[in-house]
Amino acid sequence: MTDYILIQALNGLVIGIIYAVIAAGLTVIFSILRIVNFAHGEVYMMGGYFAYFAISLLGIPPMAGVVFAMAASFALSVLIERTLLTPLYSPTTERKGDYGILVTFGISIFLRNIALIVFGPYPLRPPSFLTGALILGPLIMTWDRVFDAGAAIAMLVFLLWFMHRTAWGEALNAVSQSRESAAIVGINDQLFYMLAFGLGGALAGGAGALVGPIYSLSPSMGLIPDTQAFAIVILGGMGSVMGSILAGLMIGVSESMFVALFPDPSRSLTYAQAFSLLVLMVVLLVRPTGFFGRIHTALD
Amino acid sequence: MSALLIETHALSMRFGGILAVSELDFAVHAGELVGLIGPNGSGKTTTINMLTGHLVPVQGEIMVRGVRAHGQAASAYATMGVGRTFQITQLFGRMTVLENMLVPGLARPGSKKAGATRAARRHLEFLGLAALENLPAKNLSGGQQKLLELGRALMLEPAILFLDEPFAGVNPFLRDEIIVLVQKLHAEGRTFVIVDHDIEALQRLVHRMVVMARGRKIADGTVEDVRHDQEVLRAYAGF
Repeated sequence: MTDYILIQALNGLVIGIIYAVIAAGLTVIFSILRIVNFAHGEVYMMGGYFAYFAISLLGIPPMAGVVFAMAASFALSVLIERTLLTPLYSPTTERKGDYGILVTFGISIFLRNIALIVFGPYPLRPPSFLTGALILGPLIMTWDRVFDAGAAIAMLVFLLWFMHRTAWGEALNAVSQSRESAAIVGINDQLFYMLAFGLGGALAGGAGALVGPIYSLSPSMGLIPDTQAFAIVILGGMGSVMGSILAGLMIGVSESMFVALFPDPSRSLTYAQAFSLLVLMVVLLVRPTGFFGRIHTALD
Repeated sequence: MSALLIETHALSMRFGGILAVSELDFAVHAGELVGLIGPNGSGKTTTINMLTGHLVPVQGEIMVRGVRAHGQAASAYATMGVGRTFQITQLFGRMTVLENMLVPGLARPGSKKAGATRAARRHLEFLGLAALENLPAKNLSGGQQKLLELGRALMLEPAILFLDEPFAGVNPFLRDEIIVLVQKLHAEGRTFVIVDHDIEALQRLVHRMVVMARGRKIADGTVEDVRHDQEVLRAYAGF
C-alpha cells in the first residue's frame, strides 16, 4: 500500500508540474492583458497536435517536437492576439473584461471544432520521448513521465529567469503594474501584450506536447486542464506565477492522493477534478486571496 | 528663436457628441516654461493626453521636433522626447523607488544598468528622495510619489516635459519645493508645460500662459497679459 501511495504521489507531482506550466501561462496572460483566457485549454490541445504532426509528418525527433509545438503555439497565440484582441487596448472599448471572455470563449469553441474536423474525433498518440521505465526499488515511473517532469521544470525555470533576470521580463512586470506608466517611459505596451499572450500560449502548447505520449491527444483534451488551470491560478493568488507553480503541484499531488485513497476505486477518477475544486474552496475560505494573492493582480 | 519642440495645427478631440478640444493651435519652443490653465472641463488634460499620445485627435496635426506624430502610441512620443506626469500619480507601486527610476532604461536600446543607476541616484539626490531608494513606491507619501514621477520622467532625458497638476493635493511646503525644483531644471535648459489650477504658483513659475475655456484657446501670452485679458476674466469669473 505504501508503495502504491508513493507511486501515486510521484505521478501527481508530474501532473502537478504540468498543471503549473499551463497555469503559469494563464497567469502571465491574465496579469498583462487583464483578461481570463478561455481559449488557453485549446492552445494546449493545439500544442499536442503541433508536436504530433511535426513528428509524424516532418520527421523531427519527439523532444524537438516539444520545441516546435511551443514555437507554433506562440505563433498561433500571437495571431489570435493581433487579429481579435487588439480592441482590448482601445480607450473606446467598453467592458473590456466581458469582451475578453466572450472572444476567447468563442475562440475556444472554434479551435475545438476545427480540431475535430481536421484531426478527427479519435485519439492520437505521439511516440514516446523515451521508452521504458525508471525503477527505483518499489518505485516505477515511465521515462516519458520523468522527461515530462524535467521538461516542465525547465520551462518554469526559464519563465522565472525570463521574468526576473531579463530586461524584457522587467518590462513585462512594469506593464502589468501600470500600462500608462509603462507607455510614458517608452515601453511599447502593445508589443508586450503580444509577447505575454504568445508566451502564455507557448507554455500551454508545450504542456500539450508533453502530455501527448501519456494521455493521447483529442480535440476536447484541453477542457479539464483548462478548468484545473483556472482553479490553480485562483488558488495560487491571481497574478502570481510562483503561486501558480506551488498551487499546480498541490492540486496535482492532492488529486492523485485522492484517487489513491478514495474508498471506492471505481469512482475515484471521476471525482478527482471535483476534489481539486473542493481544495480550492477550503483554501479560499481560509485565505480568500489564495496563497500569494494580493488585492491587485499585477504579474509577480 | 529657439527650436520648435511641439506644434499643433487645428487640433480637435471629440468624445461622443462633446467637442472637448476645438481647433487648437499651440506651439512650444525649447527652453520655454509654459502654464496651461483653464476652468474645469476646458480641455487641458485632453490636450496633454493628445500631445503625449494617450488620445488620438479626431482632427488636426501634431508635430514633435518637426516630425509628424499624429496617431503614434504614447511610447513613441516618449522615445521622441516627450515626457509627462499624471494628475493622479501613476507609479510601478510594487517596485522600489530606484527600480521605478530604472524602468525607462528598459525601453532604451543600449542603455547600461550601471550608467542608468548612477543617473537615477543623481536625480533622486536632486529630488530629495535618495534616502528612500529601497522603499516600495506605494509606501511613499502623495507628495513623494509626485516627485518620484517627475524623477522617472527625467530619466528619459525628455526634450519637453508636461506636468499634469503637479500642485494638486500637495501641502504648501512641498508646493514651494516643486516650484524650486522646476525652476532649477528650467535653468538647466529643460522645457516644461505645466497644467494646474494653482494660478498663484504658476504666476511665480511660468513665463508664458495659455488659457483654455470650453475646448478653445482663449489667450496666449505673458502672465501679465493674460491677467488682464477680458475673455479670461469672463471665463473664470463670469464678468
